[in-house]
Amino acid sequence: MQNLYIAPTSSTPEVNFQFDRHQLSLRGESYPENAHAFFGPIMQAIQAYLPTLHSTQVTVDVQLAYFNSSSTKVLLELFGLFNDAAVAGNYVTLNWHYIEDDETILEFGQEVADDFTALDFHPCALVE
Amino acid sequence: MSLTDFHRFKELARQENVVFFYTGYFSQSIVTAMGDSLRLRLASLDASQTARRKLFSVFVEMAQNVVHYSSDHLSASSAADHEIRMGSLWVGETDGQFYVVCANPITREGVEHIRAKLEPLRTMTNEEIKARYKEKLRAEGEAGSKGAGLGFLTVARDSSNPIEFDFVEENGSSPFTTFYLKATI
Repeated sequence: MQNLYIAPTSSTPEVNFQFDRHQLSLRGESYPENAHAFFGPIMQAIQAYLPTLHSTQVTVDVQLAYFNSSSTKVLLELFGLFNDAAVAGNYVTLNWHYIEDDETILEFGQEVADDFTALDFHPCALVE
Repeated sequence: MSLTDFHRFKELARQENVVFFYTGYFSQSIVTAMGDSLRLRLASLDASQTARRKLFSVFVEMAQNVVHYSSDHLSASSAADHEIRMGSLWVGETDGQFYVVCANPITREGVEHIRAKLEPLRTMTNEEIKARYKEKLRAEGEAGSKGAGLGFLTVARDSSNPIEFDFVEENGSSPFTTFYLKATI
């Protein structure tokens, strides 16, 4: 399946999904006008990719310095898809990068970990 | 307005420590540009990373609220993307605390709907707001909402004081009421 790359903008993150290497990353900030319009094609690519996996190690790196409320909701749905893939027998590592003193971003990461226990969650503090 | 009046306007903003003020049409590209400008101002101020992120968060939620819901719009009211709507936004500092104020016209029918959403947030504790936010994050989308229906809760979560709001009747024959929302970080 073809890799997916979307360059970052001020209000949307860099999307770098290297499906051939099972390494996926989201970096930057996310506050598009319409989170569903931005994340729709990304969710579709993930929904096409995950069922092709069998006992595969997938690494997801998320380094988002800021995301708005509508992006938050869509991100939770996205991590739900990864959790389902982990429940189905894959190994999904979620590296959650956050700026060290930003408690809101860390708290959301911990909520993701609490909700989706099949994910191998690693909080990674970035020191400014 | 004479140039002296413009000077009074500017002086008032300076005295009140207004960091940023915008009035006019809001679109996503204007919100992004305002965000860039706000970031530059914040970088030069003595504020913690958490305070800056919370301020930016409140700014984005309020500004996108204008883009999505102000009743004075250039774009079709049914549009879900590329919307352009009228409003005003202030960012300032009082006694070492930042505030964001947003104003936009709404229909009179909208007043009670907004009041019912905001009034309970004024008396909830931080823990209650967080709990409500978590619950809402996992709930089905709300009818009439273009986002996650989490905007006001996010503003309340990121405010250190209870949010303030008001509805001010316009003079003359305007069909709209102006909705004001203030959050102190």
